[in-house]
Amino acid sequence: MLESLAISIVNAVPVLSGVPLWTITLLIMVVVAAIVLTFAMVYSGLATYVERKVAGDIQARVGPNRVGPVGLLQFLADGIKLLLKEDIIPAKADRFLFVLAPYLVFVGSFAAFVVVPFGVGLIASDLNIGIYYVMAITSLVVVGVMLAGWSSNNKWALLGGMRAAAQIVSYEIPVGMALLPAVLIAGSLSLQDIVRSQGGLFGIFGWNLFHNPFTFFSFFLYYVAALAETNRTPFDIPEAESELVSGYHVEYSGIRFAFFFLAEYGDMFIVSALAAACFLGGWHVPFLDAEALPAAWGNLFSLGVFLTKTLGLVLVMMWIRWTLPRLRVDQLMRMAWKYLVPLTFFNLLGVSLWLLLFHGKGIPQMMASFIG
Amino acid sequence: MGLKAYLYDIWEAVATTAKGMRITARYGMDPRETITLEYPEERWEPSERFRGFLYNDIKKCTSCTLCVRVCPVDCISLEAVRGADKKMVLASYDIDIGRCMYCGLCVEVCPPKSLKHTSGYEKASVDRGGLILHFVHEDAGEIKARVAKQVAEAAAKAEAEKAAKAAEEPSASGATPDDGSNEAPAGQPASPPAAAVNPARGGAAEKTPAEGAKEEGGKPEEPPKKGGVETP
Repeated sequence: MLESLAISIVNAVPVLSGVPLWTITLLIMVVVAAIVLTFAMVYSGLATYVERKVAGDIQARVGPNRVGPVGLLQFLADGIKLLLKEDIIPAKADRFLFVLAPYLVFVGSFAAFVVVPFGVGLIASDLNIGIYYVMAITSLVVVGVMLAGWSSNNKWALLGGMRAAAQIVSYEIPVGMALLPAVLIAGSLSLQDIVRSQGGLFGIFGWNLFHNPFTFFSFFLYYVAALAETNRTPFDIPEAESELVSGYHVEYSGIRFAFFFLAEYGDMFIVSALAAACFLGGWHVPFLDAEALPAAWGNLFSLGVFLTKTLGLVLVMMWIRWTLPRLRVDQLMRMAWKYLVPLTFFNLLGVSLWLLLFHGKGIPQMMASFIG
Repeated sequence: MGLKAYLYDIWEAVATTAKGMRITARYGMDPRETITLEYPEERWEPSERFRGFLYNDIKKCTSCTLCVRVCPVDCISLEAVRGADKKMVLASYDIDIGRCMYCGLCVEVCPPKSLKHTSGYEKASVDRGGLILHFVHEDAGEIKARVAKQVAEAAAKAEAEKAAKAAEEPSASGATPDDGSNEAPAGQPASPPAAAVNPARGGAAEKTPAEGAKEEGGKPEEPPKKGGVETP
């Protein structure tokens, strides 16, 4: 896709014909990566602000309102503060791993942005193994978190790292299993294909959420499991400030701490984006086909729709965070292995049988064929 | 655990989560639920009987020192001298609000109701001296000197009058001894001539500033009582 873009650029600008094609492709890649990363950073910053505002509202407070209009620039102030802070590496820490860990977490979280289908043509790289790639690359976070816990040479950090590893590995299974129905229906692992499979004239009934009862439950199972995978309250036992101070990043300060923080918000976005793409129709909205619009408007419109859905789900995550208390470790494990894993397997079986019996038709489709 | 209990567990988890999220949503959406008062911009109205900083209306103050004596933490200090017209003149009236515990006893006890609680409660200072409220803004020494001068002038005037009267009525001059003036009027009120009272008062007032600036609160209060008995 990027290569074809490079070829079209070379065709459009004859001056570039002397330049080897791979340099142009590389340049485009760097530019796209920079755009995605910038978006991710700005989103993360604003998300911290929104999170604090939501927390304030729910707790009958006001939230940040000092920096800039209604406190909107708070995240810039926080970012500058984190940048200027002293970078402390504990004396007995494993320096190499300690320095490495935040990057692994950050990369694991932000590399997943590559396959997020922001719009009709707005996707950094439409991998044909999109979902698989996301599952794989976000697992890098586990390694980073464990390294952070281990290299800090701190009992709280180690406990937090171990808990995080146990939790993320456990919840990886229900997350994968809950996403599979969408893959089954679309017949593809590519996120763009999955989103396209949910289009059509049924409005919101084209979405996988309403395809059949099993996919409906699948969405909620995915959302809960994914919430646990992002290590957020009520599943934040790796951080559990009442028990572990702040878990695996207790020894981190300054910009290294910011990396963990950004990764958490990046994870939230990825998880919500996957939920939106796989179950809520991605950039589809009822009665308006973004693909039929002129390219620029279609992209802009679909970007808006997709971001609305995704950020709505992020907001729900914040809402849940400030509502529910933290689970105990054993409760968390029980929830994964005793409830989510069997239920997601049951759901997968149900969806498979449904697709087999009804030849891949969803309930809305069947009703439409009844009527007309 | 049977299937029924298993499913019930799941149902309960979903239902209770939904219930909790409904409550937090109400708190989150309803602006009336926000109880934060953005302090420097908005303030609560203090209640009617709010005990804030003390304020002494020195025009009404009689320097009776009751407030000084009733204060449990000794945060009020007062200096007064007797003026030419027999009334006490405040030389200084300070309240250390860093020490004040806002019990309100001084306000309750104040006879002319000059001491009051205001609604003020905001004060910050980099040193403890900044927390002392001064109600007499002139320098205490200046006031004392001025009062002493006035008293001396009054005394001199009285002396002159007395001398003039003595010249007119030589017969009455011998019957007024200076030392016995405090005892004599109490024993036989209204009987001594006006000329006999004036020099005695002048002498007492002249003494007070001379006796020392740091007088005990009680001492300057005693003369007015006698004066009160004396006048009728």
